[in-house]
Amino acid sequence: MPGGLTKHINILDFTLASLWRRRLKNLSVLAVFAGVIFLVASFQMVTQALTETASQVLRSAPEITLQRMSAGRQVDVPEEYARKLSKVFGIRDVVPRIWGYYFDEVNGANYTVLGIEPDRMPLGEKLHISLAEGSMFNSETRGNVVLGRSVHSLLQEKGSSLLSMFRPDLSQASFRVSGIFNSDTDILTNDLIVMNIEDARDLFQIAPGRATDLCIYVVNQAEVDNIAKKISKVLPDTRVLTRSQISKTYQVVFGWRSGFASVCLLTALTAFVIFAWDKASGLSPEERREISILKILGWETADILAVRFWEGFLVSGLAFILGCTLAYVHVVFFEASMFRPVLVGWSVIYPSFQLAPKILVENFLLIFCLSVLPYLAATVIPAWRSASVPADSALSGM
Amino acid sequence: MRRPVYFLVLLLVALCVVDASLYFFSIHRRAQLRSNAHLFDVVTSGLGLTALCVSTEARYTRHPAVSDPVVPFMDHPGAVEHFPTGSFWVPPRSVAELREY
Repeated sequence: MPGGLTKHINILDFTLASLWRRRLKNLSVLAVFAGVIFLVASFQMVTQALTETASQVLRSAPEITLQRMSAGRQVDVPEEYARKLSKVFGIRDVVPRIWGYYFDEVNGANYTVLGIEPDRMPLGEKLHISLAEGSMFNSETRGNVVLGRSVHSLLQEKGSSLLSMFRPDLSQASFRVSGIFNSDTDILTNDLIVMNIEDARDLFQIAPGRATDLCIYVVNQAEVDNIAKKISKVLPDTRVLTRSQISKTYQVVFGWRSGFASVCLLTALTAFVIFAWDKASGLSPEERREISILKILGWETADILAVRFWEGFLVSGLAFILGCTLAYVHVVFFEASMFRPVLVGWSVIYPSFQLAPKILVENFLLIFCLSVLPYLAATVIPAWRSASVPADSALSGM
Repeated sequence: MRRPVYFLVLLLVALCVVDASLYFFSIHRRAQLRSNAHLFDVVTSGLGLTALCVSTEARYTRHPAVSDPVVPFMDHPGAVEHFPTGSFWVPPRSVAELREY
């Protein structure tokens, strides 16, 4: 074995023995450091997985969504707007859609009610493949609903086969359950009640010929932005949202600027500042004495620095590996359960989070650079200052 | 006497094995999720969906892309945003971003 390597292995042996002598302190530092890295890495993995899922599942969203605004609020769109849009060249189809929320007072759940004409929707004829059981209704069928899994579970708890809902005037509307969505699509359909658009108008008592918004499909994908500009000129009281804007919203919505991320980062930063301050404010008298004795025994400054480097590297490196490993386990196997209270809030209905964060080297490198490298610097620099002082003068100060 | 460095090597090997298993698991899991891509396309197109069902407590976290940035504060004059999920979700960078057209 080369001499240099043997020397380093011996130094590593000495370092490990030294760490073990102060095991309570070092294991506490390791646990706190790993906890901080775990928190930051978990948050990074959750946001990355959710952002990626959003971009994957929303790539087939309507190319343009048109909403009408009045007094700063979204209001119903008259279907005449679809006729006005016939002047805009490049539009393939305009499909009205009704959606809204229904609060179930019995269990406190908020459902999303969606009224569509399946025959007019792209791939509407294939919707049956997304159902775990039952069938999709068609545009002519009234009184049928297709439910998301959680809505169906809540209905089963009530012991009812019909879904009964109240109109705004408190009259009752009942629907037969014709199908239930597959669990694989929970991230999209978990809280959905899908019904015929006429049934949705009746339930929300929306005037005939009106819709919540219009889904606009274009002939040429490259022209979406131009068509959106033309639409906003033809219909100035509307808000025009393109698929790319929806996607962009989801790219930024789970971001580092969110309040919760700030809490994670502030915790990490505070913990690290305490560490760094403790280390950088100088070595303890015991550590100084140890360095002096080693120098008297013939150790060189470089050897002492190597010991300090290995101490810092082992503690921070192990904390980094443990923190990142636990973060992945937490996000994937425990469905980010620690973040669930803020991720779903007071929601009664929420899907199981089948998250699969991509293991990206750059993400880990970022955490490594923000945690391990500053810790190493904070460990080695005071040791270098202390080791460069003559041994006798360091000991005489004891 | 066994040298402490052997214990370190043993620990590192154990961590490597665990991390390698997790890495291969992640590849398998992602491939499994990718196989659902066609299903997602059908549901999103067929229903005209524009949002993920992650949180259902507030409309601005259930449908962040199609609700206004002002929605969290529009329940009544002087209303404050109070839903827990509001702390996890960032509003769009600027209102102008949603007013491109």
